[in-house]
Amino acid sequence: MKIAVCVKHAIDEAELKVDQAGNPQLAGAASKMSTFDKNAVEEALRLKAAQTGDVTVLTVGTADAKKTMKEALAMGADRGILVTADPMSISTGRTAELLAAAVRKAGPFDVVLCSEGSSDIYSGLVPPMLGELLGLPYVGYARKVEVAGKSAKVERSLEDSVEVVEAPIPLVISVVSEINEPRYPTLIQIMQAGKKPMEELAPDSILPGSKPSPPLFAAMKAQAMARKKVVFEGPPEETARKLVDALASEGVLPR
Amino acid sequence: MSIKVWAFSESPEVANELAAAADAVAKPAGGGVTVIGVNGTGPRLAGGAKLILRGPDSLSGSPELLAEALCRVAKEADPDVILVGSTKNGKEVAARLAVKLGRSCASDVFGLNVTDAALRGKRNAFAGKLVADVSVPLPCVATVKVGAYPALAPSAAAGAEKEVGELTPRTRLVERREKPRGTVDLKGAKLIVAAGRGFKKKEDLVLASDLAAELGGAVGCSRPLSSDMGWLPEEHHIGLTGVTVHPDLYLAVGISGQLQHVAGIKDSKVIAAVNNDKSAPIFEASDYGIVGDLYAVLPAMAKEIRGRRH
Repeated sequence: MKIAVCVKHAIDEAELKVDQAGNPQLAGAASKMSTFDKNAVEEALRLKAAQTGDVTVLTVGTADAKKTMKEALAMGADRGILVTADPMSISTGRTAELLAAAVRKAGPFDVVLCSEGSSDIYSGLVPPMLGELLGLPYVGYARKVEVAGKSAKVERSLEDSVEVVEAPIPLVISVVSEINEPRYPTLIQIMQAGKKPMEELAPDSILPGSKPSPPLFAAMKAQAMARKKVVFEGPPEETARKLVDALASEGVLPR
Repeated sequence: MSIKVWAFSESPEVANELAAAADAVAKPAGGGVTVIGVNGTGPRLAGGAKLILRGPDSLSGSPELLAEALCRVAKEADPDVILVGSTKNGKEVAARLAVKLGRSCASDVFGLNVTDAALRGKRNAFAGKLVADVSVPLPCVATVKVGAYPALAPSAAAGAEKEVGELTPRTRLVERREKPRGTVDLKGAKLIVAAGRGFKKKEDLVLASDLAAELGGAVGCSRPLSSDMGWLPEEHHIGLTGVTVHPDLYLAVGISGQLQHVAGIKDSKVIAAVNNDKSAPIFEASDYGIVGDLYAVLPAMAKEIRGRRH
């Protein structure tokens, strides 16, 4: 079985700093594999282990994205494809188009996996766009995936319900983070990852003549989070009384 | 400029929020709104103009079929802005529809207006740490953050019906079952006691549920408790990838306060936290906090609250 998994190298939301004026320090910010993408890579590796096959990891990113690529290779993916464009300076739709073109070039694949959304912007649009652009069936928000023969059985986790859906292979699937626990690569795997094949594709080589559309986001500002931040310390009875007093005067306790 | 705005959600309740969003977009621009429904939902929808898509019974639950049906009617009517409720299925509908129609698409937007031939608004980014200005050139598709606009009441208008024609699904629904619900719905709860990794074992969660019962509130949790430990069903998971809540009081107990968790509680009126680690980020996101052992603090709080009732 040939499996593709799409990942994003993203600014680490936990490490992102904001200056006094509320402007984020995006340049030079710490970055990492988008949190939920690790679940997509893990699921790809589990599907590979259940059958026989190989896993190709694809990303649209700058040279910095090679770090994320190497991490996926260290986890157990077999080869990597980097489409050289900065996802922060193109539209979501353009990212999906570039990924679709790269999947077409490197494929055919039986299963294309994504996570439900990236941990930086979390738009959740790229996976269904990818299904639509590739003309493949798409099943989103999977918390369980089973592939048998030429069809996949997928459990979808929606807000208030769980759906079991069957779809023919090839298909595109997005996974939710509760689907699995991503593995940590061993030191040996990390060292070997550098030897695995990694290919770079220029956008022009896979989508010749097409114009990149600009991002839909402009200025980003820190979210106002005006909380009182009153902290009580001391014996439990005393701090409990102080907190209950405070909550009562806020009028948020039932009378 | 007179613009045509469509409001759609597969859920009639969310569709009525979208009707309000569409009004906010269309009215200042002198435009008109059509609320789109599916298979007999007409009487449950708000709005003066309604268009009810008629198709197979499976239509309303299938984002794949909904996108195709909406694409067909949108090609005829050519609305400038198609707003879709940002549910999980709604995002899929919008993304597919945007590709089919060759339009730009943004998700989870709020605070909307149309200026200079673009839909403008805001969206949260970086797990709610930042808010970004969004600008989507018309014609466009956008999903609107659920809860961002108060729903309009259903109207008497019957609405026009439109047969969507033959639809061929490529996926097959084998089974749909409701997720088990807690005794109280977290999304509508006025008071929530949420548990995190500070609890040492599953049985100890009774401390949280006892306090919640004392306060007439609901019990939620951070992601590790539902996803990794399996101590509570997933439906109790509050955060970016779980439920977004907006209670009067959110009491986070033994929760460190990772960004993904805080992203789901930002709209709470008052946030309080109990944690034994003074440097836990949850205190930065809280109005009130107790630095202390939850195993001592929770029973003391329950006792204090009981004592005041008599």
